[in-house]
Amino acid sequence: MLDIALIWEMRDLILQGLWNTLWICLLGCLLALSLGLVLAALRLANPRLFSYPVACYVEICRGIPLLILLFLLYYGGPSIGLTLSASVAGVVGIGLYGAGYFAEIYRGGFKSIPKGQLEAARMLGISPWHALVRIQIPQMARLIVPPSTNQLIILVKESALISIISVDDLTKNATTIVNQTFQVIEPYLAVALLYWLMIELVARGGYALEKRLANRQPRHIAQKDNAHANG
Amino acid sequence: MPTADTLAPPAPTQQRAIVEAHGISKQFGDLEVLTNIDFSLAPSEVVCVIGPSGSGKSTLLRCLAFLEPYDHGSVYIDGQLLGYEDRSGQRVRTSEKRVDEVRAPVGMVFQHFHLWPHRTALENVTEALRLVNGLSRRQADTEGIAMLEQVGLADRAGHFPESLSGGQKQRVAIARALAMKPRVMFFDEPTSALDPELVGEVLDVMKKLAADGMTMVIVTHEMGFAAKVADRVIFMDQGRVVESGPPATLFRQPKSERLQQFLNTWRERHID
Repeated sequence: MLDIALIWEMRDLILQGLWNTLWICLLGCLLALSLGLVLAALRLANPRLFSYPVACYVEICRGIPLLILLFLLYYGGPSIGLTLSASVAGVVGIGLYGAGYFAEIYRGGFKSIPKGQLEAARMLGISPWHALVRIQIPQMARLIVPPSTNQLIILVKESALISIISVDDLTKNATTIVNQTFQVIEPYLAVALLYWLMIELVARGGYALEKRLANRQPRHIAQKDNAHANG
Repeated sequence: MPTADTLAPPAPTQQRAIVEAHGISKQFGDLEVLTNIDFSLAPSEVVCVIGPSGSGKSTLLRCLAFLEPYDHGSVYIDGQLLGYEDRSGQRVRTSEKRVDEVRAPVGMVFQHFHLWPHRTALENVTEALRLVNGLSRRQADTEGIAMLEQVGLADRAGHFPESLSGGQKQRVAIARALAMKPRVMFFDEPTSALDPELVGEVLDVMKKLAADGMTMVIVTHEMGFAAKVADRVIFMDQGRVVESGPPATLFRQPKSERLQQFLNTWRERHID
């Protein structure tokens, strides 16, 4: 029989963990989204100069587990003069790790825009910056919403790893409750439910954004997308 | 890189050419697609460039617009060298901003329209008016509607490109280029991607532009159109200008064997 009263008794610890998970995920994801865009834009703006370094960064992010990156930042940082609190290391770790994935998602989005559209812009005297902001990003945004939503979901779930570098997030506080009460099922079920709610929120936000952007598209493309989304 | 002998600007002529090219060449890897092309375009002149596929027509137009940087020679727009500048006796590439400045009198229409699909027809036309010319939304919309009226599409202003026919898309692309008040229009096979039934509506707009005195370079396979509208026709083959002259002379008394062969093939396909 589940001891629901236990969760109620430990609610402060759970809510504190939820709050920490929320703000660390939010800042980490924002960092990942922005840094990813900068990396992709640099690669696009000057492939000769930035293609190789950005590709290396992406490969490193994809090749290293998030946990190792967190260890390097939190435990390894002080040896090179970089002392971060556990929470900040969590934000930076999630941000740097996610940026590699987002850079690739953005690159795919940029690549899908026909070169001729940019040539037309250049012939009208539209600057590369305006072409990026007004022509490329709006079109790319619609294409990258589904893979970006997936990536955000993965980052939120993987954020549980920050508990290992002693951040008092949902996972760590659930483990604390387990250690104090010797009850395993209730605390972990409660945090599982909270993670599920957060991810559902991200997924629904992604769908809403996708729908909103599709409304600015030619009707038949929007219909095709909706048909695809409906399975 | 353009050679040193082409550094000097063109000598003034009686009626200065708007676009002038001297000895331009272009290679893609080992393939030489343009060889030593000279070209000149006088104000209000309409030049049609014809030739078989792969003859270098589109590459010539793209080099004249610097969408493809030429390797040798020089292109002048209104007497200003396009794409390169002289630095201590050496020719170097100019900035994109400088390219934009020199190229400002030129508008271009592409084979595949290249409209922005996330913008309506009107927004396609007004985008550069707002971003480049700094017009307010209201001013840009007024001018945009006028441009769409000019190509007979004011009633499609709020439509996205996907809901327009090929001919309508191309007319929006023409309106978009005209909105920037170019003095020269480059057309790169503007009807090649259209259904035969839709070709006429685009050619009609172009005929009207020619009648209004617009200076134009048109890469085309529409021989009938070239014969009626062009002041001069250039025939290209294997990256070289084989023959050029008034359409009546070129089409009726072709001098080169290659042009005779090209015209015979065209006649067999379109008349027989």
